[in-house]
Amino acid sequence: MASPLPYKIPAIQQAISVLWPSFMTAIAATGLFFSAFDPQDLVPFDLDIDISPLAAYSIGFFIFWLLASISSIGTLYFTISNCRFISKQNR
Amino acid sequence: MSTQATENPDKALYAAHKKIYPREVTGKFSRLRVIAFISLLGIYYVMPLLRWDDRQALLFDLPARKFYLFGLTLWPQDFIYLAALLIMAGLALFFFTALFGRIWCGYACPQTVWTEAYLWMERKIEGNRSRRMKLDKAPNSAAKIRTKVVKHTVWILFSLWTGFTFVAYFTPIDELANKLLTGNLGPWETFWILFYSFATYGNAGFMREQVCLYMCPYARFQSAMFDSDTLIVAYHPERGEPRGSRRRGSDPREQGLGDCIDCNVCVQVCPTGIDIRDGLQYECIACSACIDGCDEIMDKMNYPRGLIRYTTENSTLGQPQNLLRPRIMVYAAILLILLGSLLTHMLYRIPLELDVIRDRNTLYRETREGLIENVYTLKILNMDSKSHQYILSADGIDGLKLVLDEPVIEVPAGTVHQLIARIQADEFNMENRSETITFRLQARDANHLLTSEEARFVGPGKN
Ligand code: SF4
Ligand code: SF4
Repeated sequence: MASPLPYKIPAIQQAISVLWPSFMTAIAATGLFFSAFDPQDLVPFDLDIDISPLAAYSIGFFIFWLLASISSIGTLYFTISNCRFISKQNR
Repeated sequence: MSTQATENPDKALYAAHKKIYPREVTGKFSRLRVIAFISLLGIYYVMPLLRWDDRQALLFDLPARKFYLFGLTLWPQDFIYLAALLIMAGLALFFFTALFGRIWCGYACPQTVWTEAYLWMERKIEGNRSRRMKLDKAPNSAAKIRTKVVKHTVWILFSLWTGFTFVAYFTPIDELANKLLTGNLGPWETFWILFYSFATYGNAGFMREQVCLYMCPYARFQSAMFDSDTLIVAYHPERGEPRGSRRRGSDPREQGLGDCIDCNVCVQVCPTGIDIRDGLQYECIACSACIDGCDEIMDKMNYPRGLIRYTTENSTLGQPQNLLRPRIMVYAAILLILLGSLLTHMLYRIPLELDVIRDRNTLYRETREGLIENVYTLKILNMDSKSHQYILSADGIDGLKLVLDEPVIEVPAGTVHQLIARIQADEFNMENRSETITFRLQARDANHLLTSEEARFVGPGKN
């Protein structure tokens, strides 16, 4: 099937357009979240896990990055599939 | 027309990318830029080395959740200050962009600063533009591989230093260096050093102008901040055209030529690989390299400088300049208001905080004397830079009694102190089942250090 888009977006560009905005969002979210909550108080169910603060902040950052990436993937997916749909209708 | 770098079409991240070999340039703006770059790099690498009292002058202390900035210690509660500072930085960027165009890009953006640093190293190792292009085109040889290995080694070492410095903003640098030298670096510290090093190496060594073209949000919305009085880099076609080569000393007008000798220097020096003679383009980061490059040629030809220069759309059109435009005034006014309120807040900031948590397990208890007692956990946060003794009191119900386990409350500088407070009151003095009481905390030695916090006092209720 010929690409229904005017051009093919290279995979690497798709990857960057997902990972890069979500990276910036994750930085902002991490800053906001951890200025409100101390990771020391967040250990769930009084579990006796001993993790360093840096580890807690880092893991928090990656969770935010992951969540924001999922949202970016959604945006990318809908943009591309809507473009396909519209260009099919216009054909 | 031979344009720049049709050589070596390199399939890089963003499709049909051609590697750009910016030509070295000297001149008054280049000197200014070098001064800016060296100062900014200096600040970045030296900052974590500076000391204040017995600690690092600038440190985001993650375990302690404090941010040290010279004499100031900010707590998570002070997040609003940091947020205000960030908003002001954003507004300042708007303000300066409206006035001076993309001077941020050309002179201060980390992307530009580190790219120029990496280019400088590249130049020192691989030689000038034509030697670099020749080297890349040449077949692999021992000499070529040696040069490339040297360049990447130097780049990687510099990147690692950059990454190490970055982490030193979060972990005290002496501790970090010590851990590094004894091989005791934690996994996350190692990870972030490598992550930041890799990002620097990639962005400054390879991605370069592609970051500006494809990834930078600022570059995308800058046109919204521009107006016809914004400073831009522009070529003057009415003076330069028709362009064409000529013999030195010949009169261009006789040959029907303008002042542009079509030497392509402006294109060769451009770090984003565009031709400024095509007009204002969003790729242009206003680095002014083409101004310096062209001025040098004008000097050689004995033509007046400024065929390419800093100008504004209005001045090219012969319109009057307009410095105090509404948008400038609005940006400036918002900036001043924010700055003023931030400063007043900082000035009146009381470095003391009181948190009151009512005991959740029991609503109330009756004492032997028949009084109603509620128990509270108090957290006193002394954000000041010295230790204080405090007086605690409470009011809100007639004849209310405050019972403390410790007679003197002393909290060292920058620490949280937790204590239990019991409030006793006579049931008959309570109007409702639950009353609001107020805890007041006051430093013994400083009148302005006072704060209060409300809490609920629960009794059996009248029925
Ligand atoms: S375009 Fe963006 S990344 Fe490039 S110099 Fe300007 S602000 Fe920096
Ligand atoms: S056109 Fe001139 S000012 Fe703009 S990026 Fe290129 S060299 Fe710099």
